[in-house]
Amino acid sequence: MPLIERTSMYRGDSLYEPRPAEITAVEKLTADENLYTIRLDGGGPLGHDPGQFVQVSLVGIGECPISICSSPTRLEHFQLCIRRAGEVTEHIHRLDAGDTVGIRGPLGHGFQVHELHGKDVLIVAGGLGIAPVRSLIQYILDERSRFGAFHLLYGARSPAEMLFQTDVIRWRENKDVNFHTTVDRPDEQWRGHTGVVTTLFQELPKLDPHETMAIIVGPPVMFKFVVLEVLGRRIPQKNVYCSLERRMKCGVGKCGHCQANNVYVCLEGPVFRYGELKALREAIG
Amino acid sequence: MLDRVLSRKRLLELVDELAHARRIVGPVKQNDHYFYEPVDRADRLDLDFSYCVYGPKAFLLPPTQTLFRFKQHAGTFETTPEHNDEPLGIIGVHPCDVNAIRLLDHAFANTHPDEHYLTRRRQTFIVGIDCPGPCTEGVFCGDMHGNEATTGFDVMCYPLSRDDTGGDVRYGVVFGTDAGREFILYAQAGDPPSVEDERAFERYQIEKQAAFPQQIPYGVDTLPDLLERSYDSLLWQATARRCYSCGSCNLSCPTCYCFNMFDEQELALGTGERKREWDGCQLRSFAEVAGGHNFREAPASRLRHRIYRKAKWVKEREGIAGCVGCARCDRACTAKISSVEIYNQLAEER
Repeated sequence: MPLIERTSMYRGDSLYEPRPAEITAVEKLTADENLYTIRLDGGGPLGHDPGQFVQVSLVGIGECPISICSSPTRLEHFQLCIRRAGEVTEHIHRLDAGDTVGIRGPLGHGFQVHELHGKDVLIVAGGLGIAPVRSLIQYILDERSRFGAFHLLYGARSPAEMLFQTDVIRWRENKDVNFHTTVDRPDEQWRGHTGVVTTLFQELPKLDPHETMAIIVGPPVMFKFVVLEVLGRRIPQKNVYCSLERRMKCGVGKCGHCQANNVYVCLEGPVFRYGELKALREAIG
Repeated sequence: MLDRVLSRKRLLELVDELAHARRIVGPVKQNDHYFYEPVDRADRLDLDFSYCVYGPKAFLLPPTQTLFRFKQHAGTFETTPEHNDEPLGIIGVHPCDVNAIRLLDHAFANTHPDEHYLTRRRQTFIVGIDCPGPCTEGVFCGDMHGNEATTGFDVMCYPLSRDDTGGDVRYGVVFGTDAGREFILYAQAGDPPSVEDERAFERYQIEKQAAFPQQIPYGVDTLPDLLERSYDSLLWQATARRCYSCGSCNLSCPTCYCFNMFDEQELALGTGERKREWDGCQLRSFAEVAGGHNFREAPASRLRHRIYRKAKWVKEREGIAGCVGCARCDRACTAKISSVEIYNQLAEER
């Protein structure tokens, strides 16, 4: 028996080399978050599933994992919503259109959209959780005839922290989605719903539990309460999905940083079924 | 079944031959301890070594390693991957470390093969030296089946006897690969095993079986299940109170392969390297994300993570045990935390 299975061996140069890509537009979303539109050098689609992520590099500074927040149906570019939170993202926030970043990916296991085709979809997003799930929202709106009813609930801490405000306005007017928003802390201009995201469940019509796929993306504390609402509406655990955040370095299941119990979030995730997560004590915290 | 019988003197001559084509690394004594060190002549090797303080992992997965070089120009950048394909011979690897290397081979080859490791590994020739008994107190390689290697080496040498006249050792040799077979047979070194040699080998194996004390009376096969039921044990906290989170256990472990990645700029701005370096799951920031949340803030959760990896998760993921029982972690621990002791304490809770 050979020491190493040579047939399965990746013959590329390196798992860790980023491809150069150009920032074609930067949009300021909030005080700390920008939306970057990115085109790979030489053009061509990234080839991702909704929910997957990339490692964004600034050579000389480092790399960080960022969810892809645009749909693969938008072929000419992809988008990343980047919060200024560490050294690499701090430097990315100094870049403008025309600057170059490095991209490694798409990485991880995203939403398997064929499992959602033909179903009603309920998406519940909290805070920065709207970013990974926006790739799926765009996909559903672009491929609308493949889906049944589409409900989208989005909660932010405050109106100023609400991401993708241009989208939010469009989604409110779009008949293809039953869209509701809420904030925990309203300001004087806020005319909408106030309260945690679970309070939006009262806006939902009666769901068909066996035809509805529920997708929950947000901070761990939100996740638990939303799962209660969803399971309370008799949606089976196997039809509930979520996406996890972890520290990641290699993005390919080697370096160990993203491990939650016996799962590598960068390989088996970041998108999981609730049924898979239940057994992972570290997953939800 | 043996493939060949060979004196140590002849083995060292072969290693000197090998040194013409390969960098040679093996056990060398320094201040009463043995370390794997590069040597220019085979007679600098001490093949009677008890154990090396660290395994030979550093020669396959260096403590820091360049992944690619980068050069920025005209607003963009170019990268050039770096692979080390210098031929290497590691001489005198005990079965525990052979088994540890097997795990690294698997972990770096599966799913997304890592050429930085695999290029080095393909260029590495391994001469194993079997252990007739425990190398020191406290090892639990007999329990972990780390003291038997059936693959992962090019040749394995079993010390069958000492020659009465010159004190030379007579090795029974098993070939692990074609390269190992060529290494011995191309030089027509040694002799085919005689009937007496085969009998001596059988005796050796029987005596070896008896020589390793059982350290985990409940049996290693019960560990995954035992750990499954011990997630909420207070023992993690009770033990981790002593832990300094220094990562010495990770550093000394031959099967730990977690790493961090970072960039190094050169003085001429715009050029530099992306590197990886060994990291350790016991260090406080190992699972901390940007923004400050730490998924394993408590030392107890980090201790539990390491023990679960070693005795349960790595085996479940890779099919190869994550611990070979060398007890280097136990010896390295400044707080005298012992994984064997943890296993046995958990078993006694039941």
